[in-house]
Amino acid sequence: MRITLLVFLFISLFSSVLKAQTPNDGLMMAERNWCSMLQYSHSAWNEYWEGTDRRYNENIGTVSTQSVMFMTNYGISDRLNVMAAVPYIWTDSDVSYLNGQKGIQDLSVWVKYQPLEHAFNKSTFKIQVTGGLSTPVSNYVGDFLPFSIGLHSKTASLRGILHYVLDKGWYATAQAGHTWRSTMKSDRDAYLLHDELIYSDEVPVPNVFDATGRLGFVNDKFQAEVSYEYMTGLSGDDIRYNDAPFPTNKMQAASLGAFAKYHFGKLAVQAGAGQVFSGRNVGRGTTYSGAVFYFFELPEKKKEAK
Amino acid sequence: MSISLRITLLMVLFLGFTRCDKTPVNPALEPYNETALDANGGTWKTYILSSGSELTVPAPELSSSDSYTAELADLKAKMAAATSEQKEAARFWGSNGVLRWHEIARELAAEYNAAPKVNPDGTYPVPDVNNPTNYPRFPFANPPYTSRALALLAIAQYDALVTAWNYKFQYTRLAPYKNDNSIQPLIPANDLPSYPSEDAVIAYASSEVLKFLFPGEKEFLTAQAEEHKESRLWAGANVQSDLDAGEALGKLVAERVIAYAKTDKMGQANNQAGVTQLRSDATARGITEQWTSRDIPSRPPMLPFFFNVKTWNFDQATMIADRPAPPPAIGSADFNKALDELRGFSKSRTREQQRIANYWADGTGTYTPPGHWDRKAAELIYEKQMNEIRSARVMALLNAAMEDAGVVCWDTKYYYLLPRPSEVDPSIETCTGIPNFPAYTSGHSTFSGAAAEVLSHLFPEKSTELQNMAKEASESRIYGCIHYRFDSEVGLTSGKKVGQYAVQRALTDGAE
Repeated sequence: MRITLLVFLFISLFSSVLKAQTPNDGLMMAERNWCSMLQYSHSAWNEYWEGTDRRYNENIGTVSTQSVMFMTNYGISDRLNVMAAVPYIWTDSDVSYLNGQKGIQDLSVWVKYQPLEHAFNKSTFKIQVTGGLSTPVSNYVGDFLPFSIGLHSKTASLRGILHYVLDKGWYATAQAGHTWRSTMKSDRDAYLLHDELIYSDEVPVPNVFDATGRLGFVNDKFQAEVSYEYMTGLSGDDIRYNDAPFPTNKMQAASLGAFAKYHFGKLAVQAGAGQVFSGRNVGRGTTYSGAVFYFFELPEKKKEAK
Repeated sequence: MSISLRITLLMVLFLGFTRCDKTPVNPALEPYNETALDANGGTWKTYILSSGSELTVPAPELSSSDSYTAELADLKAKMAAATSEQKEAARFWGSNGVLRWHEIARELAAEYNAAPKVNPDGTYPVPDVNNPTNYPRFPFANPPYTSRALALLAIAQYDALVTAWNYKFQYTRLAPYKNDNSIQPLIPANDLPSYPSEDAVIAYASSEVLKFLFPGEKEFLTAQAEEHKESRLWAGANVQSDLDAGEALGKLVAERVIAYAKTDKMGQANNQAGVTQLRSDATARGITEQWTSRDIPSRPPMLPFFFNVKTWNFDQATMIADRPAPPPAIGSADFNKALDELRGFSKSRTREQQRIANYWADGTGTYTPPGHWDRKAAELIYEKQMNEIRSARVMALLNAAMEDAGVVCWDTKYYYLLPRPSEVDPSIETCTGIPNFPAYTSGHSTFSGAAAEVLSHLFPEKSTELQNMAKEASESRIYGCIHYRFDSEVGLTSGKKVGQYAVQRALTDGAE
């Protein structure tokens, strides 16, 4: 459930909710264009999947995760963008006597490259790839789930994106990515993995595959989108029966999301929502978010951010 | 570069990240050369047996006999036929069988350390010893249960090995590689007489006792014992009659230990019907603000009559005489001072304080605090390369003291029934789970005080480190906000006192 939280958080932050030129959408910043974003996100669940069993736990109640994330994106060229993001996260429960956690989580950087853009009669097809790295930037506790603000694991990711857009603005995007995750260092030096006792403070965190399908509309002023997202851990065990989650758990989630975004000159505002509807070892989270964007063009060449 | 080539390259890069297994490999226990034989080990003081000569091990055939010659031939054939897995098993079990079985016990404790899930009607199911594999599985290996399990295992090993040593040095049958130069054992050779086999003794004393304690694991434990026994043939370390005599002796000792365990009053430790009386007795003593469960819905207290379980190193009258004085009265200045400290930790703790709380949490899904110290002892034994009987003595002294500490602590807890800090002040939030029993005194502190006292005596060069560990374990519960400082301090002192009874035994058991 904690992991769920996190994973879901990532999903909502970087895919369904925040839809402007993110590591896994089909949009690119134009050369010398620069965009920064501040986003607030609130995610909560009172049911979670313990393994595949959906349950409520009176001792946990409703767990909420809130975050404020700063993200910035720069167009080195029309085909090459770089991005970075860092969130501050805080967690809490309405009934649990356990302390919520708070802190700066992980710094992420990405490079997004567009190797192909092909114009048809009234539409355009694009292929993009994104490579990313992330690392924890504070010494938060990664295995105090579901209250940890992250898993305290370093990651590397690679994803491919197919983007098809009609000249009138309707578009469809499909993306899939693989995230490699390093082991995390626990404060404990023994833990169960698949019912085997491991005598180490190094905890393996499963790698992740995720995929998204999006349908939306975009023009110079307005963008709206609905999306379906799926993620799964590629190894790992289930939450022990009636016990707390642990970073070794195999997390899966499928969710639906939507957002709308409107531009006012150099500013844009966005509101979005997402809902996990099936999962494994994750919370059945509902997420709302709002974001403000600021666009800026460096002198010389002038292009529209799209 | 063409687009298709670029995409192909990216795909190759993508697939090039091969999935590697990130699971850490547990530290290896390598077989080592045991120099000290402890030839007088057969005279050491036993726990449940009256002495190392109470049980009889029949005399072996002479090494000049035809049957022994045939056994050597059979041994050589088995060694020659051993697969690489069997040779690996020979080295695995050949490191130190006592420690291997403690590893198994700690793993079972961790696996079975799970609090039963609430029923739809708000009641809690109780593990049933007669249906151990039905949910909730039997046992719930909580700290008291695990302390007793480790003590029974260690004492079975120890009493069985004292008996084995008695007959080893009575019959003095040489190891097969001493009788036949052509046998090259896969593990370090030593001068210990081989009949009865100490490994078969350990395998069957351990597995039979663990089957009693973890009855859902019979199949697994039988397989482990068989492999342990057989591994001695693959290793070239014992002939079949050494092993058969060891198995018979191990099983006999296990029977005696199980008979003891059936009458040690653990069977009545979860008598929830008796709690009303226990509470009204406390009320009659003036204790009106009494602990209640922090679980939702309220969970029956963990093993409320564990304090009646038979202790190893002192009797019940001594325990009651040694019982810690009452905690500060709720609302008194001393009490409020302790509560204030926790209000501070609840609002903020340093990362180091949080690390300490997490490191010692030893909650569900772990081998509990007694398991934590059992592991520490195993590491010290391995470092010192002790032989099996001396290893078993350390484990028995330690774990008997920790079970005693559990009993003493449970007596104090259910005598004073002090509420947890979060019950007195609900604004106090914790960074670790609140255990389902009263606060005073701290179980971690009592277990750790006893453990550090015993291990400091047995490993004096490690005394400072061990005492610091105990202090840290004790304070971890304050940082976690589940214990008042006086719970931890008094618990640590009480545990040390329990440990001193075990040290008294160690001084007079014939091994020092």
